[in-house]
Amino acid sequence: MTAPMLRIADLTKRFGGLVALDGVTLDFESNVLHAIIGPNGAGKTTLFNVISGMLKSDSGTVQFRGKDISGMAPHRISRLGMSRSLQIKSVFDSMTVAENLWIAAQARQGVMHPFASRSRFGRTTERVDGILEQIGLTGLRDSPAGTLSYGDVALLEIGIALATEPSLLLLDEPICGMGPAETAETVEKIRHLAEEVDLIIIEHDMPVVFDLADRITVMAQGGVLARGTPDEIAKNAAVREAYLGDEEEEDDPDA
Amino acid sequence: MKERINRTVLLAVLAFLIAAPWVLPAIGLDYWLDILAEIIIWSLFAASVNLLFGYVGLLSFGQALFFGMGMFGVAIGIAKLGLGFWPALGFGMTVSIGTAAVAGALAVRLTWHYFAIITVVFSLIFYFIALSAKPLTGGDDGTSFSMPAMLETGEFELSLTDPTVQYFFILAVAAAAYFLKHLIVKSPFGMALMAVRENDVRASLIGLNVYFLRWSAFVIAGGFAGLAGCLFALFGRYASATYMFYHVSGEGVVWTIIGGAGTLFGPAVGTALLIVVREELSNMWEHYPILVGLVVILTVIFAPKGLMGFWNALLDRLAPAPADRTTGDGRPGETPDASAVPAERRTGP
Repeated sequence: MTAPMLRIADLTKRFGGLVALDGVTLDFESNVLHAIIGPNGAGKTTLFNVISGMLKSDSGTVQFRGKDISGMAPHRISRLGMSRSLQIKSVFDSMTVAENLWIAAQARQGVMHPFASRSRFGRTTERVDGILEQIGLTGLRDSPAGTLSYGDVALLEIGIALATEPSLLLLDEPICGMGPAETAETVEKIRHLAEEVDLIIIEHDMPVVFDLADRITVMAQGGVLARGTPDEIAKNAAVREAYLGDEEEEDDPDA
Repeated sequence: MKERINRTVLLAVLAFLIAAPWVLPAIGLDYWLDILAEIIIWSLFAASVNLLFGYVGLLSFGQALFFGMGMFGVAIGIAKLGLGFWPALGFGMTVSIGTAAVAGALAVRLTWHYFAIITVVFSLIFYFIALSAKPLTGGDDGTSFSMPAMLETGEFELSLTDPTVQYFFILAVAAAAYFLKHLIVKSPFGMALMAVRENDVRASLIGLNVYFLRWSAFVIAGGFAGLAGCLFALFGRYASATYMFYHVSGEGVVWTIIGGAGTLFGPAVGTALLIVVREELSNMWEHYPILVGLVVILTVIFAPKGLMGFWNALLDRLAPAPADRTTGDGRPGETPDASAVPAERRTGP
């Protein structure tokens, strides 16, 4: 049996006295759309931050396609083919939509040519056109990213992540703040994406999660509460009690 | 339309700069040629501030350090090491770029006010070193030298002692440097710098090495400031520690902000304007910096993208671009992303 796509072993992260991740051990297989759910403060985003290199864990290891990436700088991890979006949407505001995607696509090449005109990099430009098509922002290509609607920024986030040609995409609440129509559209796009790249999403919207995910991981208080198919999770007594039982919608960012 | 107007203005300014050695004496303003040369040199210095602040979002109050290194490199090279013209210029550049490489490796670990503070600290340290290392730098008196020839073949000698040759040498070097800056900001590297300015977290997540990019920009900016310092030493035939003081750095920041940070020619516009104001007003009113301060405050409030930003917005208003712009790339004097002040820092949760 080959190594799983992403292997997390005994990961612990403390913020002062708060234990955000408490010895988390998880394997994520390839070709399966994974979702991570859990109440606020469960450690979901912290887990993404450690995996993508934005935070260093206190102990434990992360292996990406058999390679130990624990403690690696984010740009190195990105160049290995792991890309992520951020929970609080953030793009390059004063650059145009096309430029946002262009720099992401070019960043994958590693070295940045300091003198040649950007128009000389035709392959990158072609890739940008492809992604614009894919995320449906072709009409807005020359608009500054700072002027986009919230839903379009979320799409651009996904586009930027895609432009780096990832083999694994981590999406942190991709539909947070979207209206019903935008949500339906984005869910379709995510479903399409899953055919090309491995996906792990953090999402609060339960109908969306149960609709999209093949495998659900439930986190609570820095640990893993349960894993399984959507059916198994829906039937899991511990999960129902800890999480699904109370219907309240919270929207503050988890720590 | 906007691009065409900007290009025309640029060509007109260039034509004026080239004709200046004949035009200025003809209208009885001989001494303005030296002021013009000074403006060109200081524009190059402001370009250094702008590369860091306007394109990478790092506000440095220490660029005078590299200016001073270029100055002393040339002066000590000629006066103490007996170097010729070109070797001394090379020595000045090596010293300033080398200093920037070392100082940058430490400074760009920090951002925002911490970065600004450490650049001031560096420039103060070297200022006092330059003052106390009297045998090498001449201390308070500075180091002066006599100008070696640029080119000597038999009878023919080309030297900066000829005011016209000096002026054109300064103009050519500065123009080449500005062209280099134009290439840099239009390149993938330049766009990577802007991405870092806009959002460093996102930049690292798409695979950009934020530290390396900031360091590279710091070294290049150090080279620009160093080149300005070399030219200024050759222009004045001396080097002095006063030009290393952070007041000088601060002037570069003011010129850049008034002219328009993040635009190619904004710093040159700001420099020209404020040096002309200084020349005209300082004799009449010794407290003229009050006026400069007022202009800075008004600029920051009403034209946050500086005079260039104001000018471009004006052109957009008067001659709106057609809906589908297909030729928006690669025009000097205009960058599509001319936002001076980097967006506020957003960090991931």
